[in-house]
Amino acid sequence: MEFLNFVLIFITAYLIFRKPDKERLAFRLLVLSVLLMVGLFSMATRTGLLPGVNY
Amino acid sequence: MTRNGIYSILALAVLLLSIVPVGMAVFLLGFINGDSPCVMCWEQRTGMVLVALTGLFVLRYGPRPKYLGLSVLLGAWGVFMGLRHTGMHAARDVGQGFSLEILGAHTYTWALFIFWVCTVTMGVLLMLLREGEPPTEPRTLRPIESLAFGVFLIVAAGNIVQAFASTGPPPYMGQSDPVRFSFQPKHWVWSTEEWSPAPVSLRGRWAIEKPGVDGLPADPASGPLANLPVLPIREQRLLVLPLRGTITDLAYEPATNRFLVTTQAGVYITDGSLGRVAKYTIVDPGYSIDLGQFAGATFLERKIVMAVGENKSYVVLRENDRADADKNFRFFLESADRFDEVSRSRLGTVRARMMYTMSLAFDPATRSVYTLTVPNAKVKRLVVSRFDRRDLTLSEEFMPALAPDSGLRLSGDKRSLDEYYVTGATVDAGRLYAISAAFNTLLTIDLATHNLVAAHAIPGLDRPVGLTIKGDDFYIVGEGGGLAVVARPVDPGSVATDVAGEQTAGAKAEGAKPEDAKKTGAKPADAKAATPGPVGGVRK
Repeated sequence: MEFLNFVLIFITAYLIFRKPDKERLAFRLLVLSVLLMVGLFSMATRTGLLPGVNY
Repeated sequence: MTRNGIYSILALAVLLLSIVPVGMAVFLLGFINGDSPCVMCWEQRTGMVLVALTGLFVLRYGPRPKYLGLSVLLGAWGVFMGLRHTGMHAARDVGQGFSLEILGAHTYTWALFIFWVCTVTMGVLLMLLREGEPPTEPRTLRPIESLAFGVFLIVAAGNIVQAFASTGPPPYMGQSDPVRFSFQPKHWVWSTEEWSPAPVSLRGRWAIEKPGVDGLPADPASGPLANLPVLPIREQRLLVLPLRGTITDLAYEPATNRFLVTTQAGVYITDGSLGRVAKYTIVDPGYSIDLGQFAGATFLERKIVMAVGENKSYVVLRENDRADADKNFRFFLESADRFDEVSRSRLGTVRARMMYTMSLAFDPATRSVYTLTVPNAKVKRLVVSRFDRRDLTLSEEFMPALAPDSGLRLSGDKRSLDEYYVTGATVDAGRLYAISAAFNTLLTIDLATHNLVAAHAIPGLDRPVGLTIKGDDFYIVGEGGGLAVVARPVDPGSVATDVAGEQTAGAKAEGAKPEDAKKTGAKPADAKAATPGPVGGVRK
């Protein structure tokens, strides 16, 4: 899944670098990458979502 | 600062973020040194790349609110990820960590620092930004800004290569314990272990319920040990003492014929009949170190008492009838002129970690303080921890085993001593006595062999929370204030210790010798009780 996310990030950067008129598409891809990252991290830490220290 | 100046700083920041943490991680640490990120490291690295990417959006389209807002959100989320990851290893010993150490700190610690720097940088740049509408058309990139785009794309491409080799295409994803990076496909390990079902929890293994005796099974016959001999309750009465809160533990000092009683925050010294409070204080449990609620108490040296909270934080108090109440204001909520606080700290454990305690005992013969664990939903272990009285630091820990010649046996293959819920303890003549509120069972542990040498059922106890010895009897106090007196059984294996520290094998714990009363300074009436207790005859 990390591979997929970096592909999305590469495409997003390429779009705003070489095809800046695709701003809306690029931003949607950016948001998708952010959500994917948050989802993957949350899934990896779902057995203890908060930092494992004394509160 | 001019807007072009801001763009230049932003381009440099994107270059710095792309090259130093992310570029070095993929090209230097990954491709050259073979390091592979774990699944959490992957997401933190992704977060840094996304922060840099929002910077590129600003370089191309200007400081539009949605880009600025998203970058701040990414910085905050990155700090959270860094805290979550660092928290897993923050309490380890010096130098211990996970994976690579760089300049004295492990990689996840650097991630926390980098996200913090990113967030601070965003704040500074926003403060420097002059008010004005962002451009409506995409900006024409200057050379340094184009360089930032180029470097970013190279770094992103490097990560695509490493992510494909280390984590694989979807649905494969990062692993908790990744194997080192290799360009050889035969060494690649693609895993879906993170997709496997697992319970969802906010605090994970740190979500441990507070201890308590309510709802515990009381019937000794249903306990893990089969066919236990019964100790009948010889006397039972309700204590009528003016206490604030419910009783949490009990201790006895033969030399002065006094009891020590604790409540959630109260420390009470009573007379030898448990009928009158001689002095008391209410400790401020929230001052400095959080003491929680007192769960165990013991006499230490003369006029020195110790109380421990269920969280293994403790306070040591010295009796002083001329204590300065104003000076002690910070330590006590009530009666600040009867005690001084000697120390307040925490008992550190290893095997007993992540478990609460409800007992405290002191062995004057070895000058050791003991606690025993209570099981919880996540950790079920009966652990005895011994602390040196001098510095109250851990000396040893053990998990009692059945003594081979004790005749004790478990009532089933899946039963375990870990089921016992020890709420009171006392030491005498080389034996650690522990009362379990679960199954109302008295355990006798030999401190030399660490074995459970005897166990007795005591039917009829009501939620016992404290145990001590007075004379020939066990005194067991319940949470509801009930006191049960039980005669001590003969224990031919115990080792009585005289005042000089010499041990006498085979002595009955209550082997009273009137002359010992003179040695310990106890009153004649206390002679029997004072016999086995050296150094003032402390019992707890």
